[in-house]
Amino acid sequence: MTDENYDDEEIILSELNDEELVQQMHDDLYDGMKEEIEEGTQILLDRDWTAERVLNEALVAGMKIVGIDFRDGILFVPEVLLAANAMKGGMAILEPLLAESGVEPKGKMVIGTVKGDIHDIGKNLVAMMMEGAGFEVIDIGINNSVEDYLAALEEHKPDILGMSALLTTTMPYMKVVIDEMVKRSIRDDYIVLVGGAPLNEEFGQAVGADAYCRDAAQAAQMAPLLLHNRQAARG
Amino acid sequence: MARRSQGRTGGRSGRAATRRTVESIKPFIERKIPFYELLDDDGLALIERNADRVLEEIGLDFKDFPSALALFKEAGADVDGERVRFPRGMCREIIRASAPAEYVQHARNPDRSTIIGGKRLVLAPAYGSPFVRDLDSGRRYATLRDFENFVKLAYMSPGLHHSGGTVCEPVDVPVNKRHFDMVYSHIKYSDKPFMGSVTSAERAQDSVDMCKLVFGESFLDQNTVMTSLINVNSPLTFDATMLGAATVYAQHNQATLISPFILAGAMSPVTVAGTVTQVLAEALAGMAYIQLVRPGAPVIFGTFAAAVSMQSGAPTFGTPEPSKIMYLAAALARRLGVPFRSGGGLCGSKIPDAQAAYESANTLQTAALCGVNFMLHAAGWLEGGLSVGYEKFVMDVDQANMLDILLQGIDLSENAQAIDALEEVGPGSHFLGAAHTQANFETAFYRSTIADNNSFEQWEQDGAKTAEVRANEQWKQMLESYVPPALDQGLDEALQAFMHERKSSFEDRDY
Ligand code: B1M
Repeated sequence: MTDENYDDEEIILSELNDEELVQQMHDDLYDGMKEEIEEGTQILLDRDWTAERVLNEALVAGMKIVGIDFRDGILFVPEVLLAANAMKGGMAILEPLLAESGVEPKGKMVIGTVKGDIHDIGKNLVAMMMEGAGFEVIDIGINNSVEDYLAALEEHKPDILGMSALLTTTMPYMKVVIDEMVKRSIRDDYIVLVGGAPLNEEFGQAVGADAYCRDAAQAAQMAPLLLHNRQAARG
Repeated sequence: MARRSQGRTGGRSGRAATRRTVESIKPFIERKIPFYELLDDDGLALIERNADRVLEEIGLDFKDFPSALALFKEAGADVDGERVRFPRGMCREIIRASAPAEYVQHARNPDRSTIIGGKRLVLAPAYGSPFVRDLDSGRRYATLRDFENFVKLAYMSPGLHHSGGTVCEPVDVPVNKRHFDMVYSHIKYSDKPFMGSVTSAERAQDSVDMCKLVFGESFLDQNTVMTSLINVNSPLTFDATMLGAATVYAQHNQATLISPFILAGAMSPVTVAGTVTQVLAEALAGMAYIQLVRPGAPVIFGTFAAAVSMQSGAPTFGTPEPSKIMYLAAALARRLGVPFRSGGGLCGSKIPDAQAAYESANTLQTAALCGVNFMLHAAGWLEGGLSVGYEKFVMDVDQANMLDILLQGIDLSENAQAIDALEEVGPGSHFLGAAHTQANFETAFYRSTIADNNSFEQWEQDGAKTAEVRANEQWKQMLESYVPPALDQGLDEALQAFMHERKSSFEDRDY
């Protein structure tokens, strides 16, 4: 679809004022334009915006709109993937600066499917939405043993552990992982989110997860809340 | 008034006895109508060439299973790490050289032994659901009790020729021991052919060992008594779990269904032609592997295709694109000369409502017309396979019965031509009392077991029941009147002893 009113050739990002530029970045995120997001991120930094402010006002706020329209069935999965990818482009520029200034990034998540389970379409969607919501996601892939999860926690020190299972024959393994975390007294160091079609709320509680997420959009909505509550609780 | 030719029938009680139709066993449906084709030979040949190109240039990964890599290498494939690339035509040649075009799957009741392939259609219940649903208690995790119930219902449904496999997941039994109870239930509560466990090589071996008790070891080595489901981890990947199970079955001459199980758009290209190309490449590689393990071991070319919702990633069913995929894949399987699996009463609906009915009917009709030989998921499927419904099960069985009649084609016997009837009645009047009608009416039209065609007032007086409510009454009646097929007591004890010994030889494990 071409619409002459929206000819992007005409827009020169550096000529926009801050407010217009942020607005434009929200649109560019929506349209999944990675280079433009990288350029806009750099321009705001050059205008002495802090990395944290760029992250929150330009990127996270923009992805929020994407998230809402995905939930409402207006945006499609391939479009959200592009948007998340554009977001990642901006994040790559911001991350070193955030680390330098001691600002915690929005949050970090390790996610993978449990041992014996190769179903990963749902997990991939969750990773996509979490990245879109500003989380750093370390995807450890499929078929993860307790040892794999623990090694990833050790290495990446995430805030959140996400586990996905699509089989009734593999979902009980989530409990095996959580029990081991309890045994090692590290359970409370992490928020544990679980998901996958054969799970339900009850099951999530029974295995000792912090929450069961019925879909990717809900995971991305719930994660910041749980993280916020935890940080608040810790003062 | 024309008189019934047979004279006295014993009045009310006599008539009631003849109406209680004694079903003769039909181990499969025999097709007498043509295959419906969507694509001409040139189109199909193009897909075949493209699949060969995929096999030759891109190849497939055989993950964590070195023995498969070795076999392929020896047979002339190019093996690079876990990636296997096949010279043009290699898989097709291997399959054509030894894979049977059709095979007998023996049942413990020989009358129910079935033939899979050619012009036959074998129907089996839904497979793999973690949840069950019924009108009284809603959606809940399945138990062994549910599993037994569905085996019994399938046994009592003449339209289902096969007992299936994991008719639902008995979540109340430890993960590493469920397969014993599932195989035992199929043997104990039914005498129809069934499927073995595929969730590990060891569990496949246990299934084989239990069948050895039933059929005898030497019989089993030369004959097929199980057909088991091996899914491809599309795109273009076979994993060690599936390869492990497939290898055990092949070594014992047991059949495998090599099924690319595709959510198009996520696991394959978004187009029909692209998906079918991938499906063909994957099925060729998998079936060739089986033939290398044991030449002649029966294989079925499987295709399960759903489209993915681009808005959520969820699988969708009963839409036109998967139907087109099924038509093409069926034609390709015929060209290759192997049996074909697809279809089922597939739907995405959570309950047996209008969505469920439309989607299921679309898939069933396509499967019947395109020439499916083995139809898994023919009864009970709900919610993209996450749930199996008691009411949906008996509704689907009603549909399955109808497929039989559709595929029987057109009777052109003298009786069917009905010139007598036309002569007798002539212009005006009606046919209800004609001698031809009297002689044929009982079997002339399919009588649905579910539909209500009474007047509005009658229906209302009977409680204004929906199809779901009528189905609910039906499956309960069936289970109440269930009579198990005879099972030799010695065999039953041997099976139980085997299970007991194996189960107590290792700890319960939940993975
Ligand atoms: C923070 O953490 C979180 C939060 C939220 C999370 C989360 C983690 N993970 C998921 N979520 C949530 O967010 C996601 C997005 O909104 C959602 O994710 P979902 O994954 O639910 O949704 C996806 C977007 C789309 N859905 C899917 O991708 C799954 C669809 C179904 C049809 C399915 C598929 C596609 C496949 N399968 Co499989 N498969 C089925 C599935 C039935 C179904 N309707 O779910 C199911 C799960 N499979 C089953 C079976 C039996 C099997 N499968 C197998 C294989 C496969 C394929 C490889 C063919 C393929 C997976 C391909 C892949 N790359 O993922 C085999 C096992 C392989 C193995 N070792 O794991 C095999 C054993 C079949 C066989 N005989 O070969 C059944 C379950 C049986 C059981 N024991 O419970 C099944 C219900 C279908 C059925 N009726 O048979 C939410 O659940």
